[in-house]
Amino acid sequence: MIRHLIGLLILLILGLIYPWIMPGTLTVGVTILLFAGWATAWDILGGWAGQVSLGHASFVGIGAYFVAIGATEYALAPWWSIPMAVAVAALFALAWGRLTFKLHGPYFTLSTIAIAEILRLIAINEGWLTGGATGVFIDWMPTPFGIDLFERENQYYLALAFAVGVMATTIGISRSRFGYQLRAVREDENSAMAAGINPTRVKLKAFMISSALTAVGGGIYGLMLSFLEPHILFYLLLSVQIALTAIIGGRGTVWGPLVGAVLLVSAGEIFRTSFAEANLLIYGVLILLIILFLPSGIIGEFNRRLTRRLYAKRAQG
Amino acid sequence: MGELVGLIQNISNGLLIGAVYAMVGAGLTLIFGVMRTINFAHGDFVVLGMYTAFAFNMIFGLDPYLSLLVVLPAGFVLGVLIERMVLAPIVDKPHETSLLATLGISLIIGNIMLLTFGGESKSVYVAYASEVVSFGEVRLSVILLLAGAVTALVMGGLYLLLHYAEFGRSIRATAENRLGAELVGINTRSIQGAVFGLGVMLAMTAGVALIPLLFATPTATGPILTLKAFVVIVLGGLGRVGAAVAGGLILGVVEVLGTAYIASAYRDAYGLLFFLIILLFKPEGLFGRSVKRV
Amino acid sequence: MPNALKAEGITVRFGGVVAVDHVSLSLEPGNILGLIGPNGAGKTTLFNAVTGFVPLESGQVLFFDQDVTVAPPYKRAQAGMGRTFQTERPFEELTVLENVLVSAFLHTPKRKTAEKLAMEMLERVELDDRYDQPAGDLNLARRRRLELAKALAIQPKVLLLDEVMAGLNPPALREMIGLVSSLCQEGLAIVMVEHIMEAIIELSDHVIVLASGQKIAEGTPKEVTSNPQVIEAYLGTD
Repeated sequence: MIRHLIGLLILLILGLIYPWIMPGTLTVGVTILLFAGWATAWDILGGWAGQVSLGHASFVGIGAYFVAIGATEYALAPWWSIPMAVAVAALFALAWGRLTFKLHGPYFTLSTIAIAEILRLIAINEGWLTGGATGVFIDWMPTPFGIDLFERENQYYLALAFAVGVMATTIGISRSRFGYQLRAVREDENSAMAAGINPTRVKLKAFMISSALTAVGGGIYGLMLSFLEPHILFYLLLSVQIALTAIIGGRGTVWGPLVGAVLLVSAGEIFRTSFAEANLLIYGVLILLIILFLPSGIIGEFNRRLTRRLYAKRAQG
Repeated sequence: MGELVGLIQNISNGLLIGAVYAMVGAGLTLIFGVMRTINFAHGDFVVLGMYTAFAFNMIFGLDPYLSLLVVLPAGFVLGVLIERMVLAPIVDKPHETSLLATLGISLIIGNIMLLTFGGESKSVYVAYASEVVSFGEVRLSVILLLAGAVTALVMGGLYLLLHYAEFGRSIRATAENRLGAELVGINTRSIQGAVFGLGVMLAMTAGVALIPLLFATPTATGPILTLKAFVVIVLGGLGRVGAAVAGGLILGVVEVLGTAYIASAYRDAYGLLFFLIILLFKPEGLFGRSVKRV
Repeated sequence: MPNALKAEGITVRFGGVVAVDHVSLSLEPGNILGLIGPNGAGKTTLFNAVTGFVPLESGQVLFFDQDVTVAPPYKRAQAGMGRTFQTERPFEELTVLENVLVSAFLHTPKRKTAEKLAMEMLERVELDDRYDQPAGDLNLARRRRLELAKALAIQPKVLLLDEVMAGLNPPALREMIGLVSSLCQEGLAIVMVEHIMEAIIELSDHVIVLASGQKIAEGTPKEVTSNPQVIEAYLGTD
């Protein structure tokens, strides 16, 4: 626990000085932080509870749209619209999970794709709700303490707070009863039930927390984009990116998704110069490599070896 | 009277496009039935077929259907290679692993096509694109009819293979019961490779049939088609080719009718909703095998 | 004094097959009930029915006079019905301690308390020296003991053991028998499904014999093992 908290502190410090060390790369920094937060939030459901969702872009979209529409139609500041988005996201996840958790493994995943797609179509077509396919432009934001929320640097700090917050949540979960319930349900539902755990309740809780946190990141993302179009926000490819970031980094680990985000977003930036829009190629290649050679993800495999080595050392020494 | 004609026309169009969906679904369900693998890249193979036909047309100026001469064998070989290199090593892992692997393949294929062909949507314009054939007052586009005809031919061939050839019987045995098939001496590992090859071949053929009809974009069209293919096979019940055909036809008709009589913007949503409903309430599909407990 | 566990007229049907046919049993605290029978007799199915993992066609399950017939397995575990699984299912990726922690957390949300309880259980089954070993690396005998520790950590009042003695070498077997014996001396009520006769004879206060889903005999270990019907059921009638 202490190790994790120290790590988090280091992350915070690094995050704070990043704009000074690497000015001009703020947007990349925000992207890394957003993906770190999203992937870690996704992982609560996908890694800890073991339910792979490919529909999480829905929650990004909910967060972004609440902030955008809240500001443009109702003059709502983000500190009102984001909590609303969080509530909606959590309720949506509750209903969604209730409906689909009886499906196992890949079938659950397929259902998440279908539901997210339907949501996307609704977002594109129901103009009265979302401004339709033409999108929404955020033209106003409040200025708390004189801070301009449209400035990239401020958005960066918001994203940093988001990423650190999500990671702190995961660190807390990892040591708690809930964390063990999650892992038990993931590994073997029957054994978990024999230990008095209600699998559906645990999965629903995980889904709600995961979706709520993702929506917060979505709100910040909306702020960053300032022009929102439904087909990029609710997009399957975004869901896939989030999921693969966590899986490549290491599902069910505290640091895996962060590592995945740093690796994939940076690589994407580097490749963007030579491969233009095809940087998702990296995701494809890496997931295959991970599946074939490092099935628990980068940090996952690292942890497995570490655990065994520590035990061996103690058993001998 | 005009309304009836309209209805017949719509249903016919639905059936024809549904036939192509059926071919896509047949490949997917064959793969699932034998390998219990959910091939997330299936739609991307269809798009690969589309782009191959497009490239053929661009380079040689030939009718896209002629590219089938290349597509049929190349697709098979590609499928076998992918199966050997990526899927065979993970055959004993949990099912979600193969979903992730095929997801990776989907991303790789889609992006390679993006790099090769660029991001604008492409289609193939054939000389007979706007020709129609009239059956009384009902007019059907020649391209659609051709697509239907090619599909019928290929599916007919598949049927003969599965039911009358030794190879086909081995496939069905492996789908039924892998362990049992091995006990009677069937080499299930090669069967799996061959089946994936067949699946890819079917997908690419469907792509060739579709390119005169639709526009393809390298990374977006694939997943949409994959999702459609899933709707098809879940409608029909996983693993049964005949049922997939029925599922494809149903989807085609549902889409066309939904578009014509309800709202066209939600065309894709009808299939998805149907899919969800079946998945949740009648997981055996309309005809067959349960999907809830894998 | 209420029965710790009482099952009346349990019938389980799978498709067309009746796996368990109107079987009843009852158990007092501090006693051990042995459940034996040839393979396929329905012992594990009965087990699964009593613990809630398989639905009943008819019958009633009472836990300290509380009707749990329709309660899901986790509710029964929360009430104090513990069980082991025949194919031991450790949470492979977790350490030995963490495996038991899962169960230990049932009655307390505090990590320190749960950890203490978990370590106590591990000491009980003599696995405490391996607390940080990944559970997937344990050998069969240790997995068995871990399975037992996990079941004990929910602080059960009734424990259902599914073939915990199978496949153990003689010293490990003696150890396990001793362990089970000491557990029941502490007031636990135990139901044991077993093939290993040595354990049944030595430990059971009462034995029930199943064959083809039906109860064909019950009584003390001695009575049951000298019952000709029982002997015939085991040897078969072909």
